[in-house]
Amino acid sequence: MFWRNNILAVLLLCCTWCLATSEEFHEALTFRPLQDGRLATRFTFTTLLRGAYPRDPSTLQEEDESQHYAIFPLALGQVLREYAVTELHLTLNAGKWDYDHWGYPDEPGVGTGAELWAWMGESAARSVDERWKGLRNALSGQFCASLGSLDEQRTTSPELTFRPEGSLPQWGTTHQLRHGTLPSEHVCTENLTPFLKLLPCKSLTGIASLLNPHRLFDADWHGLGVHVRYLENEGIEVRLSFQSVFDPVRYSNGRRDWSLRSVFDRVIDRSCPIAHSSEIRVAIPKEETAVAITPDSYTTHAGFVYFNVSNASKPLDISMSWPDEQKFEYATVSSAVPLTHVSVRRTLKGSSQSRGRLSVSITNHMPITIQTSYLESMPWLLQFYLHSLQIYSNGVSRDDLISIVSYIPSVPHVRPTLFQAILTLPPKSTLHLSMDVIKPFLRYTEHPPDAQRGWDLPPAVLVPLLHSNSSTLDPGLSNPPSGFEQLRLPRRMYTPVLLVDLATPDFSMPYNVIIMSCTLIALIFGMVFNLLTRKFTLIRVSPEPK
Amino acid sequence: MDFGLVYPALVAGRLLLAFAPLPDALKHDHQLSSPLTSYPRLQEGVYLFQHGIDPYSGGLFRHSPLLLSLFSTALPLNKFTSACLWTACDAISAWALVKIWRARQRVSQSSRDSLIAAIYLLNPYLLLPTLALSTSTIENMLFLLSLMFASQGQSSPSLLALALLVQLSLPSAIFIVPMILLLLSDPVSRLASPREFNTYLSSILAKLGTFLGFSFALTSLSVLVCGNWTWVEQTWGAAVMLPDLTPNPGLWWYFFTEMFDHFRPFFLMVFSAHLLIYVLPVCLKFQHDILYATYILAGVYATFKPYPTLSDPGLFISLISLFPETYQYLRYPIVTTLLHLHSALLLPLFHHLWLSQGTGNANFFYASTLVFGVSNGAALLDAIWAGLRIAVGNLPEGYELIQK
Repeated sequence: MFWRNNILAVLLLCCTWCLATSEEFHEALTFRPLQDGRLATRFTFTTLLRGAYPRDPSTLQEEDESQHYAIFPLALGQVLREYAVTELHLTLNAGKWDYDHWGYPDEPGVGTGAELWAWMGESAARSVDERWKGLRNALSGQFCASLGSLDEQRTTSPELTFRPEGSLPQWGTTHQLRHGTLPSEHVCTENLTPFLKLLPCKSLTGIASLLNPHRLFDADWHGLGVHVRYLENEGIEVRLSFQSVFDPVRYSNGRRDWSLRSVFDRVIDRSCPIAHSSEIRVAIPKEETAVAITPDSYTTHAGFVYFNVSNASKPLDISMSWPDEQKFEYATVSSAVPLTHVSVRRTLKGSSQSRGRLSVSITNHMPITIQTSYLESMPWLLQFYLHSLQIYSNGVSRDDLISIVSYIPSVPHVRPTLFQAILTLPPKSTLHLSMDVIKPFLRYTEHPPDAQRGWDLPPAVLVPLLHSNSSTLDPGLSNPPSGFEQLRLPRRMYTPVLLVDLATPDFSMPYNVIIMSCTLIALIFGMVFNLLTRKFTLIRVSPEPK
Repeated sequence: MDFGLVYPALVAGRLLLAFAPLPDALKHDHQLSSPLTSYPRLQEGVYLFQHGIDPYSGGLFRHSPLLLSLFSTALPLNKFTSACLWTACDAISAWALVKIWRARQRVSQSSRDSLIAAIYLLNPYLLLPTLALSTSTIENMLFLLSLMFASQGQSSPSLLALALLVQLSLPSAIFIVPMILLLLSDPVSRLASPREFNTYLSSILAKLGTFLGFSFALTSLSVLVCGNWTWVEQTWGAAVMLPDLTPNPGLWWYFFTEMFDHFRPFFLMVFSAHLLIYVLPVCLKFQHDILYATYILAGVYATFKPYPTLSDPGLFISLISLFPETYQYLRYPIVTTLLHLHSALLLPLFHHLWLSQGTGNANFFYASTLVFGVSNGAALLDAIWAGLRIAVGNLPEGYELIQK
């Protein structure tokens, strides 16, 4: 009894101290049943460091001010201040996000593999590229991911597509974007463990206790994200998110009913005492079928059901069921209306290992003309013939529908291609874009150990330039980025990754090749010099005729 | 047959072929055009240049700024102009070859003219790269024009053509010395009666000065076109550093694909120096017939240059038509011919098996490039042997020929 009181007192002290230094921690879990019977979940753990500023890169030479955080993750804070990062986004995803059936994701960064992008202020003391390199390596160690391979050969600055999500402080210097994608990187338990360590309650209490790696990495789609941004007049916000798409139909005998127990194999036993808010939201499907949600201690608002985890009786197990439905009926292909305004397909055509054709078809489902930005940030493993770019809309060549914003051609072994364009999609039509590409031939040391598998190519990113429709977006997170109202980019869409099959040399015979080529050259050289340096002479072989 | 009839007929036939849908099928072929001569890359460079992007900032475009300025302003590239232009280049080359032959024989017309033009225009090693619109056709034309003017003793046009050639392809710098020496002598055949070459160093230096002057002017023009020096690394640098390991029928690409990284610079130096090593010995040995020395160096160039295509050996093989006096002294003509036939069949087959069919691996194509190297080397050795052996003439009874 004495101990319990003591712990309570310490916790209380903790909480009051937190409030005094104005760090806030909010946790939320959102469930969204999807039309194909799957269940999208999103954990967000938001820490706000009120009144803090990102480090001004011009002070990088000086001793940094000391960092004292109560709940803000120190490991991340140190990295951010060491490299003077204003805004940072890291996502590690596995699987292919199905935009047509799942709609726009709650967290927009759903590109397969690792994606890292950061906005950093320029500084004479340490260049942006130098700090970007340090940041990559620091995060690589922090999250046990191979982000170190996101080197110059994969780094671009696609400023049209990746606008800052927060605000950029006015230091009198410009900010620069660095972006890199590593599609072959996969998220797994070793990435989740360091992720959990950044949370104030770890995975012991509160919503984070549901993060069960055995279930999360069994999901059809899963990915974690770390987002740091600076909000003017508020402070620095760190948002740790974990997004996944489960298939309850697979777990529960053909029905799409789910509960915390069935999805995560865990329930919430205790709430996280230092969370300012701890909330579970469940989106109510728009379809007609009746749904039952237990327990009934919830409030309803704007299509969502809200549970307050701190007040709810423990253990808390939320469940959702469709009582009238005996078995979930999958929608037939024809009746499934795509949930996004635009659908994208990207393929690499051609069977040759030396060239091919990159083909992208973009369908506009809306009855209005949509403009969309189109980004290809392609490593030099695929090189574009931009002169062969062709655009067809409904079978008619329409070169006027594309305007190329920037094109930086790739340099082998040095840098990737950056291709940014604005496409105009006529209403209710499909735009076919294609161009010839060539596949380079690599040195034998540049191939990975499983060379025959091919190379993963990063996704193309499209941003339909529409007015934001906030029905699916979390109201708390859709703060418009200030300063960029003119080109407000609502949602990024990532295409699936591509696999390119590059020609391989024979890995077993470098010595043989060196020996055989050198022998041939030496033979020809020797014989030529034999002829050039010796003289022809006649000698008598038979005795002179008498 | 009458040259005035055969030549136009051949050119017309070539033009018809150029308008057939062959170029689209051939222009990506690695044996007909290298990264330095490929037509799609030229188109890409012109496209980027016209859209305000420096084509040399990427790794794809490695053509000379001279070609870039030509095709982005005066001669827009399209199906029609390129077919005409490339055929015209070959027609000029064949005509220049005939002129060289006439200069060597000191006649204004001969019965072999038609044959020589046909050997050039119908040589499949030259015909196919032209149909693939490889810029090696332009390089061959410049080489033959330079040789023609040198044979006629016209110093400035010859050196200008040579300077243009070196701008397009740096390894062809090995022709500077023989071309200057040819300008100071004459192209008449003296293979059978060797004599010492007499000239003054000052006249060699004067010609060299002229060449350097032209080169400087053309380089300045290139800088003017590009506005910077990045093109040097992309065009000339490529011939030395071999950044693009796209397969070709030569000996460099697979060697440097399989090379250990820390030995790469050393072997690049060795391979480049190896190409230069032949120039002086060949010129010294054939000082009595510098045209023949140029021909031998064309063989060396075709065998050992960094990014060869079939058109380089094709040029060497077509040049053989200038030296009919050596035919009876060729050492193993049948073996060499069969080797060439063998590799000409193997190369496209194994290339297809490796890259398109996927049933063969890189070693298949590498092996056929080795055979091709052997056949080019054999042709080179045959030519050197015949050029030296002719001086001895027919052996008297009871005598044997040896090398001392």
